[in-house]
Amino acid sequence: MRLSQTLDLDGTSIVCGHCGHGLCDKDVNWKEKAILNETPMRTLGDPYSTDEQVLLRVFSCPNCGALLDTETAMKDDPFLHDKIFT
Amino acid sequence: MIDPITFSIIRHRLFRVVDEAVITLKNVSGSAITNEGHDLMVSLYRADGSLLMGGVGFLHHLTSAAEACKSIIRRFRGDIHEGDVFLLNDPYTAALHTSDVYLVAPIHFKKELVAWSACFVHVYDIGATNPGGFCPDAENIYTEGFSSPGLRLVEKGEVNRAIMDTFLNMVRSPDMVALDLNSMIACNNVARKRMRSLIEKYGIETVDETCKTLITQSGEKLRARLRELPDGQWQSRQYLSVKDEIARVELTMTKRNDTLVFDFTGSSEQSRHAINCTKWASLGGLFAPLFPLLCYDITWNEGVIKPITMIAPPGTIVNCNRPAPVSVATVGAIQSVNNAACITIGKMLSASEKYASEATAVWHANHFAVFLFGQNQHHKQAIGILTETFAGAGGARTWADGIEVGGEIPNPISRMANIETIEYTFPIRYLFRRRLKDSGGPGRYRGGVGMELSFVPHDAPDGGMHYVVSGKGAKFPMSDGLAGGYPGSPNAYIWIKNNESKTADGHSHPIRLDAMSGEKQAVDWGVFPLMGNDALYVRWNGGGGYGDPLLRPDEEVCRDVEHGLVSPEFAENVYGVAIDDKTGRLDKKLTDKKRTDLLARRKRKNGGGHAAVTNP
Ligand SMILES: [Zn+2]
Repeated sequence: MRLSQTLDLDGTSIVCGHCGHGLCDKDVNWKEKAILNETPMRTLGDPYSTDEQVLLRVFSCPNCGALLDTETAMKDDPFLHDKIFT
Repeated sequence: MIDPITFSIIRHRLFRVVDEAVITLKNVSGSAITNEGHDLMVSLYRADGSLLMGGVGFLHHLTSAAEACKSIIRRFRGDIHEGDVFLLNDPYTAALHTSDVYLVAPIHFKKELVAWSACFVHVYDIGATNPGGFCPDAENIYTEGFSSPGLRLVEKGEVNRAIMDTFLNMVRSPDMVALDLNSMIACNNVARKRMRSLIEKYGIETVDETCKTLITQSGEKLRARLRELPDGQWQSRQYLSVKDEIARVELTMTKRNDTLVFDFTGSSEQSRHAINCTKWASLGGLFAPLFPLLCYDITWNEGVIKPITMIAPPGTIVNCNRPAPVSVATVGAIQSVNNAACITIGKMLSASEKYASEATAVWHANHFAVFLFGQNQHHKQAIGILTETFAGAGGARTWADGIEVGGEIPNPISRMANIETIEYTFPIRYLFRRRLKDSGGPGRYRGGVGMELSFVPHDAPDGGMHYVVSGKGAKFPMSDGLAGGYPGSPNAYIWIKNNESKTADGHSHPIRLDAMSGEKQAVDWGVFPLMGNDALYVRWNGGGGYGDPLLRPDEEVCRDVEHGLVSPEFAENVYGVAIDDKTGRLDKKLTDKKRTDLLARRKRKNGGGHAAVTNP
């Protein structure tokens, strides 16, 4: 079952939509189990020249590296949590 | 039971009534913000004020103008007559901010109230502390200009001169504001005339039955669509910066069966700056993307409003308490509500095989309201917005790039004026206005690019002008991406003081920001001068991207570089696509290596989903 453009639901598990790698149970925020790369937005160069504290979060699959989601964030703000009710 | 042909004809006639009323607004108003920028709206409402036919223009206004009609009905109960036109612009009663003045008019047929028409324009001036209505200096609503919870401007077809003159006595450039009010009176007159001829032709029973059916049908269609989508909960967050303050709009959207709840609990306390939304503004803000994204084939009326609930805690930036200042709301928190709703709706659509292709990243997340004011070359006082603020960048779709300078979702007919028109109105000369490289959010599908512009004073009797800038959010990219797509770049506003640099061929001003001499100061909030050799530089956001930039085909990135939309440095470090310096063509071998390296880097978690871009 489809969860988003990049994730599927396999039984009660959230899995990577590219390689099928299991990330976590459906009630957990899968972002906790993904690889998080967090860098200042300004590393994107001139038009993105903002404060050091503005971050780009990149979540990827620990198995295949597929990009699963991004967030614009401040350091300690919680991850956004999307879920499907089943 | 109405036959389906008549039903369809009446439905289309209702559309046409709105269309013709919009044309009237544009032709009578003298303001560039109306007739060039299309910052306007016309809609039709039922006798009880509920939405009957949502028109084009700024979609934030469809629900709040309904509340304006309902509020007038309550206030003037038993005293509403044929030919009356009412004015309402108080944001705590129904409006979005004081500048967007509603003129609402009852439509009678055989002495019975059968419908309402409503319209707004952003009036030339509203008598606020700052010219043009956006009021970065306001500490409360009392300094944001004239504000009325409802008054009768036209009584049985006759303009109430005392009220009109009092209003015009309180604003700058009263002749221009009078034109704005006249355009709205004319617009309502046209709507009334056309509605009455429609009713005369088909009979009140048939028209009434059609209107009722249209509303029932829209409700059923939206509910059926919601039932097709999975139940779930989706979140988004928007940051707004003003000076040292950083505010958040937090949204959790929950869909169960055939209902949708937009819950803004957790959003920041109301701001001391004028970026706040009243609850009417937030409600309008979430409906602006909802109409086109979920109801693209459904008539926009009361039927689609019923299944939707908004939770906006009082005292927050999305439901401020009087007398909090709100004059910048329409380019402030309303836009963040828009953007947040666009993303949660997009995520919900993405969870459905059938509807995933309807999802979109955020378009033009951040207007840059700059109002110029002062004496122009024709020795007249001129006030006006840079209509480029309406020229946003398209967000990437799930199947295509965002449209470069493609507009915005909340206003399908927004435009910018051509440079000649602006230079005729104001004593300025443009140095450049063009698409902004590297501004589109990276992704499998790239966000559309925004723009950059710069101008200098020219032929100004007073040596230049001043401008009001309400540039919230310059710190944060706000055009969020979808499914891993990166956000588009943020806005920037730069005052170049005493720019005396010359180009190689002797022209007085170079056509690049980095080639301009003089001190450069970021100016995003307040009133600033543009005098002598000063220049103002503004650039604005690209659209959000969709999907993984490493999956964007090599040749599409090469094409972007060739077209000047993406720099070679950006292509290499973010997309992993290398261009050969000498040939300007794709270096396939190096590209394969770069892309493999970037993927490995991502998996190692060593500080970046991309490599840092160093601009030459
Ligand atoms: Zn994977």
